[in-house]
Amino acid sequence: MLINICGKFSRVVTFRRLVFILPLVVFLFALLLYPGVGEAALKSTKKLCLNCHKGANSIISKKNVHKPVAMGLCTSCHNPHTAKNEKLIGSELKDLCFKCHTKAKLLPGEVVHKPVKDGQCLACHDAHSADKKGLVKDAGAKACYSCHPEKDIAGKKNVHPEVKKGNCSTCHASHSSNRPGLLVKSTKALCMGCHSSKSTKLLKAHGGLNVSSSDCASCHSPHSSDNAGILKKNLHKPFETGKCSTCHLQGSSKVKTNSTQLCSKCHAPTMDSFNKRYSHLGAGAADNPCINCHNPHASDGDALLKGQESRVCYTCHGETKKFAEISNFTHSKLEQCSSCHSSHGSNERYFMRSGVETCSTEQCHTTQGRFTHPVGKDIIDPRSGSALDCSTCHNPMGSPEEFILRGGKDRELCVKCHQV
Amino acid sequence: MFVFLKSFKIIYRTALVMAVFAAIAVLSVMPANAAKAELITIAVIGGDELTGNMSEPAAVFVDEAKKRLYVADTVNGRLISFDKDFIFIAALNHDNFKLPISVGKLKSGEFFITDASDSTLKLINIKDKLITAFNIKGLKAGVEKFMPGRFAMDGSGNLYIVDKLNKRIVVADKSGNYLRSIRAKGKGVYGFNDVRVDKKGYVYAVDTIGASIYIFNEKGDLVSRFGGKDAGLVFPVSVAISSKGLIYVVERYLSQIMVYDRFGALQFTLLSKGVTSGSIYHPSYIYIDKSDLIYTIDGARVQVFKEKR
Repeated sequence: MLINICGKFSRVVTFRRLVFILPLVVFLFALLLYPGVGEAALKSTKKLCLNCHKGANSIISKKNVHKPVAMGLCTSCHNPHTAKNEKLIGSELKDLCFKCHTKAKLLPGEVVHKPVKDGQCLACHDAHSADKKGLVKDAGAKACYSCHPEKDIAGKKNVHPEVKKGNCSTCHASHSSNRPGLLVKSTKALCMGCHSSKSTKLLKAHGGLNVSSSDCASCHSPHSSDNAGILKKNLHKPFETGKCSTCHLQGSSKVKTNSTQLCSKCHAPTMDSFNKRYSHLGAGAADNPCINCHNPHASDGDALLKGQESRVCYTCHGETKKFAEISNFTHSKLEQCSSCHSSHGSNERYFMRSGVETCSTEQCHTTQGRFTHPVGKDIIDPRSGSALDCSTCHNPMGSPEEFILRGGKDRELCVKCHQV
Repeated sequence: MFVFLKSFKIIYRTALVMAVFAAIAVLSVMPANAAKAELITIAVIGGDELTGNMSEPAAVFVDEAKKRLYVADTVNGRLISFDKDFIFIAALNHDNFKLPISVGKLKSGEFFITDASDSTLKLINIKDKLITAFNIKGLKAGVEKFMPGRFAMDGSGNLYIVDKLNKRIVVADKSGNYLRSIRAKGKGVYGFNDVRVDKKGYVYAVDTIGASIYIFNEKGDLVSRFGGKDAGLVFPVSVAISSKGLIYVVERYLSQIMVYDRFGALQFTLLSKGVTSGSIYHPSYIYIDKSDLIYTIDGARVQVFKEKR
């Protein structure tokens, strides 16, 4: 019976017919899956909508028009009857654009621009029409300066020419990249694209050394600086005074010794700060562990840190960053790690600056410890036997709960210790 | 009908083979979902009225002959001893050591510690209350100054000391004579945080930042390395070896003990994240004694567990 049916089917659907039928079926199926097509059945509602929304004409008639708007498919984004979101947007705004502009295509890199990650596409783009290409509201640096203030980027005495021209996209990608800072290429490749390594001016500025293999952004600010040569804000004294041979072999980029002894010659007392129960000494990729966190030449941060403080810490503590990213609430100073943690070493758990007192002594939460739940070395957590401190109830690294609590504030948190 | 049955048989066999392959593939890529074994809590030592609260203890050592547990109660600057039932016996403080971060006992009866307050090794003669520096004679100089961290001892009393700055393990005999250095070469070596030696002489070292466990033979040659995402490791901080030769790794970020065989295959995990007794929260240390009791340190407490067989 079954063989019979199969036989008849194969006689009706020959291979030749299948060649025609199969693409047709695939096409129809794909058409059904196209966002908005299923619901709106590709029907233009433009005229109907504009009957009432007469003012909308001006917002949809600029030089470049969003494709669904041009097709009159208002209902591909708006629900004509009811919606949970403002402006009768059918889906939450953070998901809406990604329905057509798939994340896979739009965001090929691991590093994603925050507004893109948060689905705030309208921060830069106009949903209907715009005079600028790519439906951007403002072209060039003007668009970027709405979040990254111009005075921070280009407000110093010496400005990088590309920044002066407002060409942010020469170096940065607007959506995603595989490099930190959303760079389109490696810093080396970007800089060498304009500044030839053979240039006599470049060689002279670096004491005759070929620096083509160096990371220029480790010493130079790529945007603007008050220092000559757009050098970063804080300079290591021997570097500032041109006494390279303090650390380097004469006329060479090689250091005298690739170890902490190079640094401890001048910073001997600092070494004692590592002699603690918890110590950061020795862990890291660099042979001289100081270089894991500090830049021996220049830095925009305090203590000549290699980069933004949290970025330096996240190099090893990447999980902390991941955890913070998925948390609803985090401590307001999360990115300023050293406001709570002692970065070289500490006798306190988690490298805290002052143990249980850290939160109140840093002049941030001076009153809480006095009138709320008792904390301190003599108040013992009945669950663990450890001293109760602010972090017993709060998780500064992140929490799904308000006030970065470790449980719901109405009951869940309290009954962890106070059994009912 | 015969044709139908024959094709059904082929389809069935193919499906069976595919299912077996799928199962193998799933099992090989799911370390995080490895079976969870159970532990029985034997004791939780966090201090009491008699001992006072412990402050950031860093290591323990079990004297198998005397059946005594010694805890380096680091920030209190003391060593505490407990009997086989984990009842407090005595505490030793001395002005000449301030931050003991590793503890061991030599056959001579002297205690051996690393004092983090001045990054030195010290010998403690309990009887005479005499503390002396333990210098390694003939120590092959590294690029950096010798900066001792945690250490382990083998059956002959040889010491395996983490040299934090030189990213190596220094091996010395019980009299302090330098024997050799063990180091991992190549990229991706970030330095060692803890070390253990098994009864066959294999040396196990933890590279926390590199999220790796290194295994060296008794000559100091690297025989195996595992870790990273493949092994389910994120931030391993301490290691211990059971009598069966299984490798117990304390995973600080995951707040778990991950148990591997010598080839780095995850066997099972122990404990889960929490502050109540029987769970661990950001653990920092593990030790296994000869009777396979497991000692962990998280926060200010030492917990003693036994595996449920």
